[in-house]
Amino acid sequence: MNQWEVFVMDVAELAEDTDLELTIRTLNPGVQKYTYKRVKAQVSSALDKFADQLQVRLGRGQLSKARFSIKVLEEIQRCPAKYL
Amino acid sequence: MSKINAPKSNREFVEACLKSGDAVRIKQEVDWDLEAGAIVRRVCELGESAPFMEKIKDYPGFSYFGAPLSTYRRMAISLGMDPASSLPEIGKEYLKRTNSEPIAPVVIDRKDAPCKENILLGDDVDLCKLPVPLVHDGDGGRYVGTWHAVVTRHPVRGDVNWGMYRQMMWDGRTMSGAVFPFSDLGKTLTEYYLPRGEGCPFATAIGLSPLAAMAACAPSPIPEPELVSMLSGEPARLVKCETNDLEVPADAEIILEGVILPDYKVEEGPFGEYTGYRTSPRDFRVTFRVNAITYRNNATMTISNMGTPQDEGQMLRSFSLGLELEKLLRSQGIPITGVYMHPRSTHHMMIVGVKPTYSGIASQIAHLAFGSKLGPWFHMVMVVDDKTDIYNWDEVYHAFCTRCHPENGIHIYKNTVGTPLYPFATPHERKYSIGSKVLFDCLWPVDWDPVNDVPTTVSFKNVYSKEIQDQVTSNWTAYGYPPVK
Repeated sequence: MNQWEVFVMDVAELAEDTDLELTIRTLNPGVQKYTYKRVKAQVSSALDKFADQLQVRLGRGQLSKARFSIKVLEEIQRCPAKYL
Repeated sequence: MSKINAPKSNREFVEACLKSGDAVRIKQEVDWDLEAGAIVRRVCELGESAPFMEKIKDYPGFSYFGAPLSTYRRMAISLGMDPASSLPEIGKEYLKRTNSEPIAPVVIDRKDAPCKENILLGDDVDLCKLPVPLVHDGDGGRYVGTWHAVVTRHPVRGDVNWGMYRQMMWDGRTMSGAVFPFSDLGKTLTEYYLPRGEGCPFATAIGLSPLAAMAACAPSPIPEPELVSMLSGEPARLVKCETNDLEVPADAEIILEGVILPDYKVEEGPFGEYTGYRTSPRDFRVTFRVNAITYRNNATMTISNMGTPQDEGQMLRSFSLGLELEKLLRSQGIPITGVYMHPRSTHHMMIVGVKPTYSGIASQIAHLAFGSKLGPWFHMVMVVDDKTDIYNWDEVYHAFCTRCHPENGIHIYKNTVGTPLYPFATPHERKYSIGSKVLFDCLWPVDWDPVNDVPTTVSFKNVYSKEIQDQVTSNWTAYGYPPVK
């Protein structure tokens, strides 16, 4: 199980049962902690629906009480290939 | 000029602070994930000694030095002065050195540069190999740059800029940062690189000598490599980067090299800021792609933890911003006694003492200050007379509350340049760096009769003769009072 975190202005941005494009950061322990990925994912307020867990922070870093399970469908590379 | 004995590197500075009792050596392991940041924050709020953290979780061989310049004692040490020097003495020394003859830096051979002891290129480049701290709980990421210099050069004018633009680690090769459009780097990007779609070479130097950090933080018109040389009284040692033509401080602990991308942005923030709040929203900001990392053996990463007063963001910026504004006003012949920005104002209020020799002098001061390139960084100017001690907040506050006419003494300037970091600004104003300013004119009007219209200040030093004052002070302990320090 992986732990992820997302920043949103409003928890309503995390619509369930639909493919979302999100910027999430890993909360897994280790030196990679807090690094980001852009992903396509689905989230659910049913914490046992998906294997990974998602924690939510609001605009100024406030930790939301809302919790989700999340399934990362694929990683999206936004950075132009010429820079990779 | 007599020899200046200022620390030439962060290492020399740490040693000097340990020796004078202005730093504490922490031997137990400290976690980069919030613990180090919390230590530094508490140190700032208590005005304590700087923490030198020797053992970092997950990062053997690295160390942290926190709150490097969050006290005037450490600022004095950084200048090679007696730690007990007063703020006016430190300010006088800064003005003396920065008004002296320019001193050019020297470029040394890379084999002599400590920052080249370890070099990571290509697939080896990974910011996660550095002990980048999560400074505040709730920050948008781990901040690589909190006390550092981002080195760039204007491609046409050749101007070199060292600026302290915060940088967040987005992934192992990518950082994002807050670069405001009115800043030197912001202008270089918007004038040149962004319209052409070209990448801007950059280098980030971390673990600088304290005077190099001071130069990076100071809003001086003197190019920073010369400014640090003038502050230390000898040429700064620079060395060429591995992947671009920029020159960086050779004695810095860690150097990151790369390119600011013109056509790709990632999210940055939120972050605990010098105002004492987390104000600017998370947004897509300037993005840095890292192509090389070089660092010293047993490198020390410097950490500033900005928040409520007082940390070096407020101390040093208030100090240097105030003194650069003093230079500006003196260059225009304004008969000022000095300029002071109290750190607790988070350098938002400029206090100016002036001999009120003509009408409208406070407005002239405000126009010059707000209209300068330093203007976006503060929004309040308070002008008091030459008899008010600008360093004594009790006197300044008394002058403000009693001499500033509610209608005639308060002047508001609308639609000026602001920063997205102003906590009081509306979301719209933050997004577009729109500011507003205010002048508090605390001078008696010059058209008042000085004898019959101007109120007399009723104080011990003002209403009693010298003889009576001497009589009372010489008998003070005889009256039964403790000596006045």
